[in-house]
This record gives sequence, structure tokens and C-alpha cells, in this order.
Amino acid sequence: MAKRQRQKFSRIIHNNALMIGKIARYTPLYFVFMVLEGLIQGAINSAAALFNYELLNAVDEGLDFARAAGIIGAMALFYTLAFAFHKWYWCIVNPLLRQKLHLRMHEELFVKSRSLDLACFDDPEFYNDFVWAMNESDTRAVEVIEDTGKLINRLVSAFAMFGILLTVDTVVALILFTTSVITVVANLIGNKVSFKHSKESNPLWRKKSYINRVYHLADHAKELRIRHADELLMREYDENTEEIIKLEKKYGKKYFLLYGLSWNTLGDVSFYSIIIYMIFMLARGDMLVGGFAASVSVVWSVRWMLTDLVERLTKYPKHSLYIEKYLEFMRFEPRVKGATREIPEFESLELRNVSFSYEFSSHPKYEFHEEDHVAPKSEGEGKDALRNVNMTIRKGEKIAIVGYNGAGKTTLIKLIMRFYDVSKGEILYNGVNIKEYDPDAYREKIGAVFQDYKIFATSLAENVLGREYNDQDEERVLGALRAADFGDKLEKLEDGIHTHMTREFNDKGTNLSGGESQKVAIARVFSKDHPIVVMDEPSSALDPMAEYNLNQSILHKTEEKTVIFISHRLSTTRVADKIYMFDTGRLIEEGSHTELLELGGKYAEMFRVQAQNYKTIEN
Amino acid sequence: MKKEKEKKEKKKKLPLGRTVSNNLFALKAIFAASPIYLLVYLGSSFIYGTVEFLSEGYLLRMIVNGIEGGRSVESIVLFVVILATVSLTSFTALSWFWNVISPIEQRKVGAHIEKMLFSKAAKVELACYEDPVFYDKYVKAMDEAYDRILKVMYTLDDLIARFIALFANSLLLFVIDPVLILFGLFPLVLGVFRRLENIASHDLESEKKQVNRRAEYVKRTFYLGEYAKEMRSGGMYGNMLRDLRATFEEYKKITKKYGLKKAIYGYIQRFGLEVVTILGATLYSVWSTMVIGSENGGMSVGDCIVVIGSIGTISYCLNNLVQNFAEFGEHALFLEDVRYFLDYEIKLVGGERMAPTESVELEVRGLSFRYGNSEKDTLHDVNFTLHKGERIALVGSNGSGKTTLVKLLLRLYDASEGEILMDGVNVKEYDLKGYRDCFGTVFQDFKMFSLSVKDNVLLRPSVEGDAQRVRDALVESGAYGRVERMEKGIDTILTREFDDKGENLSIGEQQKLSLARVFADRTPFILLDEPSSALDPIAEYKMFENMMRATEGRSVIFISHRLSSAVLADRVLLMDDGTVAECGTHSELLAKNGMYADMFRRQAENYLGSEVSVNG
Repeated sequence: MAKRQRQKFSRIIHNNALMIGKIARYTPLYFVFMVLEGLIQGAINSAAALFNYELLNAVDEGLDFARAAGIIGAMALFYTLAFAFHKWYWCIVNPLLRQKLHLRMHEELFVKSRSLDLACFDDPEFYNDFVWAMNESDTRAVEVIEDTGKLINRLVSAFAMFGILLTVDTVVALILFTTSVITVVANLIGNKVSFKHSKESNPLWRKKSYINRVYHLADHAKELRIRHADELLMREYDENTEEIIKLEKKYGKKYFLLYGLSWNTLGDVSFYSIIIYMIFMLARGDMLVGGFAASVSVVWSVRWMLTDLVERLTKYPKHSLYIEKYLEFMRFEPRVKGATREIPEFESLELRNVSFSYEFSSHPKYEFHEEDHVAPKSEGEGKDALRNVNMTIRKGEKIAIVGYNGAGKTTLIKLIMRFYDVSKGEILYNGVNIKEYDPDAYREKIGAVFQDYKIFATSLAENVLGREYNDQDEERVLGALRAADFGDKLEKLEDGIHTHMTREFNDKGTNLSGGESQKVAIARVFSKDHPIVVMDEPSSALDPMAEYNLNQSILHKTEEKTVIFISHRLSTTRVADKIYMFDTGRLIEEGSHTELLELGGKYAEMFRVQAQNYKTIEN
Repeated sequence: MKKEKEKKEKKKKLPLGRTVSNNLFALKAIFAASPIYLLVYLGSSFIYGTVEFLSEGYLLRMIVNGIEGGRSVESIVLFVVILATVSLTSFTALSWFWNVISPIEQRKVGAHIEKMLFSKAAKVELACYEDPVFYDKYVKAMDEAYDRILKVMYTLDDLIARFIALFANSLLLFVIDPVLILFGLFPLVLGVFRRLENIASHDLESEKKQVNRRAEYVKRTFYLGEYAKEMRSGGMYGNMLRDLRATFEEYKKITKKYGLKKAIYGYIQRFGLEVVTILGATLYSVWSTMVIGSENGGMSVGDCIVVIGSIGTISYCLNNLVQNFAEFGEHALFLEDVRYFLDYEIKLVGGERMAPTESVELEVRGLSFRYGNSEKDTLHDVNFTLHKGERIALVGSNGSGKTTLVKLLLRLYDASEGEILMDGVNVKEYDLKGYRDCFGTVFQDFKMFSLSVKDNVLLRPSVEGDAQRVRDALVESGAYGRVERMEKGIDTILTREFDDKGENLSIGEQQKLSLARVFADRTPFILLDEPSSALDPIAEYKMFENMMRATEGRSVIFISHRLSSAVLADRVLLMDDGTVAECGTHSELLAKNGMYADMFRRQAENYLGSEVSVNG
């Protein structure tokens, strides 16, 4: 989260105004009602004071009963109407408008988030800001608008009340005003203190909730029961509790001085002095009982109303910081940009001198805030994930990418998919740089099974298609699932391809095992006519038998397609037309299985290590 | 279990006795952690309620009646000064308590409650996590206990303050004019609408929760990195946006369905309170003052002022009193889960016998096991012996029961039938903690804690000389290269959750680190469940080599899908469908030409085929 910097007053106003403007554009009615409800609520709050004042004066002066009854009747009528509006607004209109605002903002955010570079997800700082924007937009916009509504309401009431007090007596109004100013100042200071407090204590509470999570999620249950891990956590918990208590001790006294003394003591002193002052006025006949009673009730209301007003006002600087971040996020331009060139049928894919680094040594870091910009570290920290890679893949070829952990295999796939742009060199599709095509249209040419594939909580059919299901899709979905060796499981599913995946929203939903999920992910590429198919460790979740079946099936079903697959089980890759062996970001060997074995290099060594123990079968 | 679920749905309300007992349980828990906190907290509401009454209604009446009645200004002022002094001292003292003492005591109460839950959580059987009914209660207990227990105190505190206000104000009104009590009691009728409104709110919220979950899910698919690639290829994001819009339509429907009800019930209450009760009573007192007049037994102006203030207080108190009692019921219902969890009797317990410290024979005899909600045995009549210092490879296809067997050996579950004997003694006779300490284990889904590397390797409080031990173990497991590069070495905190200088490890690195656990302490037994799944072939090869060397003299069971590693074991145990299908040395099993030989050949096929072609 951004550091809290001192903001100029004008910036706070500007940012909040921008947000309110945005809300007014998305949901104009919300804006109109905010103002209206603020005014009406303000009127309700001040009406009670005015009513007491008028009525009791009438009683004290001994005017006729009809007049007094008339005042009461008018108040009853006002209440009857105002409450009706109030309830109708808060129970029906407001929830609807609020939801509508959420929807509009979310839609905008989601579309934006999809356009973000995948690299943004790797940059923890950017990602934190992004998640923050996603999570906060929900509540923050609503808070800005509702705080503003309340502000209107408080201002209306405060004006009305001070108005009444002034007509009663200037001295009373003055005492109250002075006390209010002191209370407001104390509150402002108090807010700063509590901000510092929460900043210091937040890490402690986070840690506490982590320990809580460890105990209550099933994830760690096994580890907690072996060895003595729970003793470690208890030790951490006790230390943490002590730290929290130390902080509470430190701040408790400050709060007492600020709130206890200013709000309680000072408030009481001014309240009782006003009362004593008014007793003398009453006794001298300078004041009517109505004025007295109304003043007393006004003094009470003004006290809490001002505290509330200050609390709301101090929220605007916080809102402002958020809004700034949010708006900058919305303005953020992804680096992977689209162009408009029509994409032709696939012929070839060529990587020419491609280098890539996750550290963005040649790029600035992803940031929304220009002023917070940190210069990239200059030391050679940015280790290239890929260095000077050259390869050409032609239509119909079966390509295997092999290498040890961290060799850059998955990175290569991400570059081919254009989730990232290369740092140096270029990738050519039919001889044209892929940057000249629209990224969505380009990716459409490639069907991919990722190492960390995901099953979505929607129907099986939509999981396979990756889009909305129509009746004419049935054959296509069934065919794809069978090709991915999912046929047996499919027959056991009651609702067939319409079965809902995961039980998250549907009690009849099905949770697939790791191997089954992987098969569904594989079916995705079979369901469409992508000329290029990419498989990243397609058999990692499968047992040896299932792996064997799947390999047969993939080879069979993708006859005329171009296939790129990654595996570190070399038994899977040896059937490829061409094998590319990577080592720490570099392409070190290429050729067919036989060629590479004859070469006697790293591939041959890796293969031998894996084959070694199997050799016993020959003995 | 099914029965229990039905029962749960039926009982929405607890019997009175249980309600009282659950709320008392909460108060006792607070008292046990900090008696002062409970007593002062509740006592403060007595003081607060009394002083507030005196300085609001009573004060006004005193002043106005005094002035109108011609009492001396000095005596009135003296009274105000006395009241002011009382109010100032008591509120300042209370404020000291609330600002300085209360936060500290509250944390102590929190720590007391949470530690009570934690120590129970670390002891309940693993099976409890798989029982959805139990797990549900357990999660609720962990989430809610602290808040709920404090809420009982807050509700009681509210109740006390309300009773004082109600009692004092009613007395005052009764003295002024008994008829006014009728106005004050009217809100009791409104209680019906309060109930109806609560029901509508409750239904609204629970329907909204369903929709919310869906909306949250959509949000997750957009912002979690793990979905990012799939959201960028293919059209799934369109489906997700469609689902988001669908949630809005749902919200609209729900809001319309319950909003009007809520508005009407809410309106009736507010109208009843403010217009009928307060304005009604006002009209009555104004009439009594102006038309009858105090000289004819009507009210004085001072009384009239008091009525306008007091009648409101009484109405609000009565209306909220209903709410307070409802709250106690609600607290009791939530605390029911907490108590269920805390009172749960753990069935998987140990005996008295000391567990061995050196490797001994471990025998599994006729072992069968079935998960709670399953209709089929996961393990069926498993028999084998792990000899002293022997290393067994456990192989078999997905779902054949290998991992379950490991869990049973650790006594994370107890067998449904059969027994496990350690050194000829049923393992149930050993002290549970000591028994589990005999094993060094790497689970398939190993987890790291956000603690230091050292803590993560040892998984126990460290003692003198442990640093070297940890380093050696990390070297052994191949993780030291990475740890050495960390600024604080083995004292580096894992993950950045709490420490900016913390380090995130890749899955492969985590697996190596979890392997170091079995090297650090020389436990007599070692259990490894797919310890190389995240490693590349070279790292895997080295890992098995090191493992074989470092585990000399200890008994080992390791699970692996890559049969090449099974060759290294003294014996291979092939599991199929929950039973031991084949058992013997690698060459014995190959010679037998059964399932193992078939599996091995299939995996070897590709490798060997090429080897032959190269050789030839």
C-alpha cells in the first residue's frame, strides 16, 4: 500500500470530486438521491430541536392549546412523510443503486484487468496495488458517496442548530462553538494517532490471523500433528500477544488524554456551565422554558454530531489516496499492445535472437505512481530467463521442449502465447512480427494446456469450450472429451456435459480429481481447431498408465496440427519430430531423439540418468 | 451423520436452559481470563446509566420545576454543581478504564479463548476435517468464538444500561402521571413488527450470501494470477462477465422481494415510536399542562419537558429490550458450535508406553480402513512387515491407498480393522506424541510455515547446536545452495507475509526443504510420500542417492510413481485397490511377471527401446 503522504487540500477535493463525478455518470440517480436524502435527513435531525423550541415556548407562554396541537400535528405530518421516504430509500432504492454501481465499476475493472500484462502479476508491488484496487473499489466508491450524503445532512443539522442557539442566546452559542472547535481539533489529532497505531499494529494482527488460519484450515493439519510444529506456533502467538498488549499500553494513555479529556471532561464542563448560565437567565426571565429545553437537547446533539462530522471529514484524505491509485490503475497502459493486421492461416513460427528477463532490466518497473517510481536496480540482477534463442516451427511439426527445472521452458511458451513481449529479438508468425497482430486473434490460433490449468465453476461443456454453450456444440464437446480420455468418467456423470464443475455454487456439482481435471484441460484444445497446440507438462498429474494412454491419444488426435509439448519425462518426448534441449535459458541442443543421443551431449546424459534404472529389465 | 444434519436444520432455537448455560459459559470464559475486566465492564454500565439519567431527564425537571416553583437560584445551582462533580469524576474514571485498561484486558481474554481453541484444534483427529458437519462447526467455532463471547458481555451490558434507564424513567413518569405509562408500553406491540423485520433481513442476507459467493468467485478469476493465462486465451472471461451480470439480476430480484417488506415493517415501527408514542404523549402532556393546568392536578411545564424526553427513552429501551433477548438466543446458538467443538471427546488417544528411540520392527496386520463418508474400504486387509533398517518402495496407481497407509502408520487415523505393531506392541499402547516423534515425514502436499527456515526444518523449538544440524540437513536435501544465498541464512523467514525480507520458495525448493526435515533429526522411521514429484530428473536422482546414504540404519517407506527409484529399495510393495498385490525385491517382482513387471516395462519401454537402437 502506498505510503501516506501529506496531500494538498486541493488534491483531496479534486480526487473526491473525480470519484463523485464518475459515480454520477454511472448511476446518475444515486447522485441525485444522495443529495436529496442528505437534505431530508438533515431536516429530520434539526426538526426535533426546532419542534421542542417552538412547542415549549408556546406552552410556557401559555398560548392557546389549539396552537400547540397544531405544532404537534405539523410535526406528525412531517415525520409521516419523511420516514416514508427514508425507509423506501434505504430498503429499496439505495441497495439497488449500490449494486448497480458495483456492477458498472466491476465490469470496467475486470475488462481492464484482463488487458493487463501477465508480467503485472509477477511484480508483487504492482499486484498488491492491483488487488487492493479490485477489493476496495467495491466499498470505497459507496463510502465516498454515502459519506458525502451524511456530510450534507450533518451540515444542514449543524447550521439549523447553531441557528436556534443564536436566537436563544449568543453566549451559549459561543461556549458551545468554542468547545466544538477544541473537540474537533482533538479528534483530528486523535485520528492521526490512531492511524499510526493501526499502522504499527497491523502486521501483528496479520500474524495473529495467520496463526489462526494455520490452525483452522485443513492444509496444515498433518504438519501440526507430526513433530512439534504447534509448539512453535504457540511460541509465536504468545510473543505476538505480548507485542499487541505493549502497543495497546502505549496508545491507551494517548487516547485517554485526547478523547477522554477532550470529549468527556471538556464536554461535561461546557455542558454544565451552559446549564448554570441558563439557570440564571431563566431566573431573570431572559429566557423561556422552551428555549432552555431546546438548548439542552441541542447541546447534546451538537456534541455527537460534530464528532461524527469530523470522523467523516478525516475519511476524505484516505478516500483521496485510494481514488488516485484507482484512477491511475484505470489509466494504466499494458505493454503488450495490439495492432490490427489480419492474421493469416498458420504456416510457420520463428524465434529470432529472442532474449527475455522477468526482472525488466531494460524496462521500468510496473508502477501506477510516477512519483513513487523506483529506478530499476542496476547491478546485473536481471538474470535472463531466456538468452538468444533461435528456432523455427513449421506447420504440422511435433516439437518437444526439454530441460531441467528453471531452464526456461515455460517462459518460452509464455512468450509464444504473447503473455509477455520479448526483451530482445522477435517472434515471427508467417514471417511477420507477432506484435503486428491483435493479441486476442493471435492467441486464438494457439490452443494451450498450461501446467497450472484451472477448472472454472461452470458447466463441464463451458469448461471445454471456453465460451457460452449452444445446442449445436454437443458433438464437439463430446468428441473433445473422449479424445482426452475422459469418456469413462463422462459416462458416470449424471448430467453429462452439463454437469456443474466444483461444488462451490451447486450441490450437485462435481469435484474432479487432479488427473481428471487435467484431462478436461486437454479436451479444451481438442474442442477447437487451433492450428497450434501447446502442452506444458500434460501428464504431470497422471499415473504411469494414464500417462501412457494419454500420450497415445494426443499423438493420434493431433495428426495434422502443430504440437509443442514440454515435459521432463523424456519417455514422453522422444516421439517428437524435433527436440529442443534448454539449459539455464539457452537452447543448447536440437534435433531428433536419435540425433541427440548420437551427439552425446546433455540430452543424452539426461536420458541416460532417467533410463538407468530401467535398464535392469534387460538383465 | 445424516441424522445430525436433519436435526441441525430442525433446531433453530435452543431450549431456554441451554441458552442460559451457553451465555453463562461465555461469561465464565471472560471471568477466567480477566475477572477485573468482566466486573468493571458490567459495573460501569450501572454508573453510566444512573449518571446519564440524572443529568438528562431528572436534571431538567429539577431546574424547570425549581424555577417555576420559586426556589432560590443558589440551591438549584448547588445541585447542578454536585451533579456535575459526580458526573465528571465518574466519567473520567470510566474513560480511563475504556481507553487504557479495557483494550489490554480484552486482548488477554482473546488470547485465552484462542489458545483454548488452538490446543484443541491441534489434538482433534484428522478425520474430523473430513466430516463436513464437524468441520463446519469447527470453522465457525474458530472464526466466531472470540467475537461471540465478547458479544455476550456487550449484550448483558446493554441490557443493564437499558433496565436502569427504563426503571428510572418509568418511575419518573409514574410519579408525574400514571396514564403516560400506557404510551410507554405501546412499543411492546411494535415488537411484532420488529420480529417480522428481523426475519425479512435475515432471509435477505442469507439469499444475498449465495449470490455474493458467486460474485466473489468471478472477481477471483479476474484478479488471481493462477487464472490469468486462461482468462487471456479463449473466451472464458466472457462467461465470467455474463455470470457477473447475472448476479446483479439476482440482487435486483432479492432486493425487490424483501426490500418492500423491510421498508413497511420498519416504517410501522418508526411511525409507532416517534409519531404515536412520542408525539402522542407530547400532545397528552401539553393538553394536561395547558388545558387542565398544574393547579388542577395537571402537569407543570417542567413535567411536560421531562415527558417529551423520557417517553422516547422508554420506548427505545423497550423496543431494544426485545432485541437484546433475541441476541442472547443468537449468541447461544453460535456458542453451541464452540462448545460442541471444545467438548468434543477425542477418540484417537495414546497409551502410557514409551515409544522406541531406535529402529525396530514394524508390522501391519490385517489392516482395513474406510474414510468416514465412503462406502468402500480404502485399505483392505493389508499385511506386511517393515524390518529393522529396511527400505521399502511403495508403488501403485493413483487411488490405490498408498497415502492412506502412510497416514495410518502415523496414527493420523486409526484402522477400522486390524492392527499395527511396533516392536510387537500395538501402537495404540504408546504415548501418542512420542509415537509420532518416531517418524520423519514428508507429505505429498507438504506445507511450509511462515516461520524461519530453521523452524521449518526442525518443526520443534530449537536448542543449542541446532544451527549446524539444520545446515547439514539442508546440504543433504540439496536445499542449502538456495538458503545460503539468503541474507539471513537459516534464520530467514519464509514468505513475505510478515517480513519484507522474507523469501518465497519455488515448489521444488520447498520440497527439498521439507526433505531436510527427515535429515535433521535422526528419527527411527522415515515416511516419504512422492518426495520427488516437483524435482527434475537430475535433482531427483541426487535426492534418492543422498536419501539412501543418509538413512542408513533407519527404516524407510517411500512412495514414488517413477519406478526407476523403486529399484533402489530393499523391497517393493505394490498396492492395488487397497491391498498389497505384490511384494518382493525388484528382481523378484520382475521375474514374477505380474503387475509390477508390466508397469515397469511400460515406463521403461521408451527408454529401453532407444537404448537398444543406439546399442545396435
